[in-house]
Amino acid sequence: MMETESCPSSATTAARKTPFSPNGMNNLKANSSQLSTSKPGAAKKLVIKNFEKPILPVDYLEKTWEKLREAVVAIQTSKPISTPLEQLYKAVENLCSHKNAAQLYSYLESLCEKHVKHNITQFTTGDMDSLTFLKLMDNCWQAHCRQMIMIRSIFLFLDRTYVLQNASILSIWDMGLEMFRNYIISNPQVQSKAIDGLLQLIERERGGEAVDRSLLKSLLRMLSDLQIYKEVFEGKFLQATEELYAAEGQRLMQEQEVPAYLAHVDKRLHEEWGRLMHYLDGSTKRPLIQCVEKQLISEHLCSILQKGLDQLLDENRINDLSLMYNLLSRVKEGLHELCTYFNQYIKKRGKVIVTNPEKDKTMVQELLDFKDQLDVVVTQCFQKNEKFVNSLKEAFEYFINQRPNKPAELIAKFVDSKLRAGNKEATEEELERLLDKIMVLFRFIHGKDVFEAFYKKDLAKRLLVGKSASVDAEKSMLSKLKQECGAGFTSKLEGMFKDMELSKELMLAFKQHLNNTMPNGKIDMSVNILTMGYWPTYQAMDVHLPQEMVEYQEVFKKFYLSKHSGRKLQWQPNLGHCLLKAYFSAGNKELQVSLFQTLVLLLFNDSDELSFEEIKHSTAIEESELKRTLQSLACGKARVIVKNPKGRDVNNGDRFIFNSEFKNQLFRIKINQIQMKETQEEQTTTQERVFQDRQYQIDAAIVRIMKTRKSLTHNLLLTELYDQLKFPVKPTDLKKRIESLIERDYLERDKDNTNQYHYVA
Amino acid sequence: MKVKIKSWRGVAVWKWIANDDNCGICRNGFDGCCPDCKMPGDECPLVWGQCSHCFHIHCIMKWLNSQNVHQLCPMCRQEWKFKE
Repeated sequence: MMETESCPSSATTAARKTPFSPNGMNNLKANSSQLSTSKPGAAKKLVIKNFEKPILPVDYLEKTWEKLREAVVAIQTSKPISTPLEQLYKAVENLCSHKNAAQLYSYLESLCEKHVKHNITQFTTGDMDSLTFLKLMDNCWQAHCRQMIMIRSIFLFLDRTYVLQNASILSIWDMGLEMFRNYIISNPQVQSKAIDGLLQLIERERGGEAVDRSLLKSLLRMLSDLQIYKEVFEGKFLQATEELYAAEGQRLMQEQEVPAYLAHVDKRLHEEWGRLMHYLDGSTKRPLIQCVEKQLISEHLCSILQKGLDQLLDENRINDLSLMYNLLSRVKEGLHELCTYFNQYIKKRGKVIVTNPEKDKTMVQELLDFKDQLDVVVTQCFQKNEKFVNSLKEAFEYFINQRPNKPAELIAKFVDSKLRAGNKEATEEELERLLDKIMVLFRFIHGKDVFEAFYKKDLAKRLLVGKSASVDAEKSMLSKLKQECGAGFTSKLEGMFKDMELSKELMLAFKQHLNNTMPNGKIDMSVNILTMGYWPTYQAMDVHLPQEMVEYQEVFKKFYLSKHSGRKLQWQPNLGHCLLKAYFSAGNKELQVSLFQTLVLLLFNDSDELSFEEIKHSTAIEESELKRTLQSLACGKARVIVKNPKGRDVNNGDRFIFNSEFKNQLFRIKINQIQMKETQEEQTTTQERVFQDRQYQIDAAIVRIMKTRKSLTHNLLLTELYDQLKFPVKPTDLKKRIESLIERDYLERDKDNTNQYHYVA
Repeated sequence: MKVKIKSWRGVAVWKWIANDDNCGICRNGFDGCCPDCKMPGDECPLVWGQCSHCFHIHCIMKWLNSQNVHQLCPMCRQEWKFKE
């Protein structure tokens, strides 16, 4: 190669020096005209005298061509070339310079044609297997290329002058390709055999065999170079691919579990990618990958999701879910479908958690866990795709409201259990995080008033009994609620805290006062003063207090009213608590009890044994309340009184004896109230109160709307109402409220159109 | 003596002494405050007229300030005088 490369440079220098070259004459003329422009008027012509143009010998063309022909044939038959390459190059140059280029080109063309035509015979004769055939084809192609490069190097001058000047003439290299295309690959028999062979080879590789990738690469390059890759190969190849994967997709969807199937698809895509890297033409990339995606993913999109998604989510298989997301994101509608199925899954599973009354106890914890799990899936597997994040929210909001009121109630109770003292499961930070998570659930709840009612009731209990675990946590929860629902939602709750603080301050002054007025007093009395509107409404209960306690109450009442005129106080004995000193034969104890329990125990100071009726008469505690109180003292864990006859329930006619033999390891014992029945009742009253409140809100909203609109049809009024009301209501309930307002003369019906209401000023 | 009270945490609810549930002017309950205040308490007390009607002090003062000539109780139209 180096030899031939050096030829052109020496040839061009020779051309410049050659005096008889026609170009040399032109150069002289050009120079003279240049001179004339620089010196106008003085035109001089430089003429060589006695110059005779050299004439080529007549048979120069034939003789030279013979030399060249020998060389070409030697190349084509892989034999050494006898004439030095530089001479051959010069010969071509000389022929071109003497206007023999066209003749030379046609000689060369027919020579090549003859050779290529001859080559076809090796493919058409003989019976060989396709691999041998392909190898033969490859060899032939490689040889053809090698030969054409060599020939072109010799005929470079022809290629650079004659071919370049004539647009219709193919370059020597292209001429070679053209011939190879026309005489070899366009032969129908050869072509189909070659293409089939290639496809077979690829199919075998897809089947798992190792094949000669370089052979494939070389032959496919050949097709590309011949510019028939698309035409003769790609279409058939894609069709074969489609058939293969269509069948494979069908079969594997039947046979395999979805995760295995997905892994297989992933593997297939990788393999096809490898094929593109190694031997397929780059232009095939899009159609090939699309074809695989279509046959293996799009076609089975619904089955993949139906069969596999629920299982993967149930088992929380992060890796498989990520793979599923990645694969489905490749095809159109894939993520959309995935999102739809994901949404359905959440609704289905969520509904089970929410609507099963047997699961009430664990509902909130399960919801929190479920949310956590799905959050991980969305962030890790679904790349925090906004569509999935929103879908997750939407699904939660949907299913959590499938069962009205109960989730709100249970969330409130759950918060109570976490904020109550004695809950040592969590550190402050953990508690804070937990509260944040609960707020996320809370956000989904439609009837937030139910939550508020129950939360308020529990908060009241925590504050009054001093059961709250941490003031910080309480305040933090309060600020979260405020952030979420606005100041209106929490103003009452804040009022409760305010009352507690005011009471605390007041008690400092009262202690002083108590020391002055009752210096011999034995009871350490403190009182929490509640502002009516903030706290849950408690039933007023009148009970008989011992004289001593009544005196204390009076002292406090005078003290309080002297500080706040214009007020009255109402005692809430059902919320009072006492610390008692009790004397047992086995040792003295301190009992932490409710006021009712205190009243009962105090009775035993005067007698050892009392009947149910006697106790009831002396304390005036309401019967069912008294039964629970006695149950807690006589049937609970710490039995400071003994019931006769024994049994779990307290009945009329039972007798009670002070248990002076009472023993317990602890010095200070807390005797809990019996809660069970109480919560049942509380729950219904709380719910009723919420519904009552809602009626007022509906009334207010109707009047507000009608006051501005003056006149509205029933349907329009309902639409506006649904915009304003923040809790779920049925249209029939709204209708009842409208009718009630008509009865109370806030509204009237139109005389002609019963569907129309007017505001009555 | 078998048991003795050491300490007692009582609970009581306070209310305004009033002869109605709601303020006749703002129609808010007396267990709440007037519309301009945030918390019921000594900052928003009730006042009684000699006619024995009572209102939030802020409500009745607003009403009286808006009356140019005679200062009348909005409920009974008698001359308004604060009850001592």
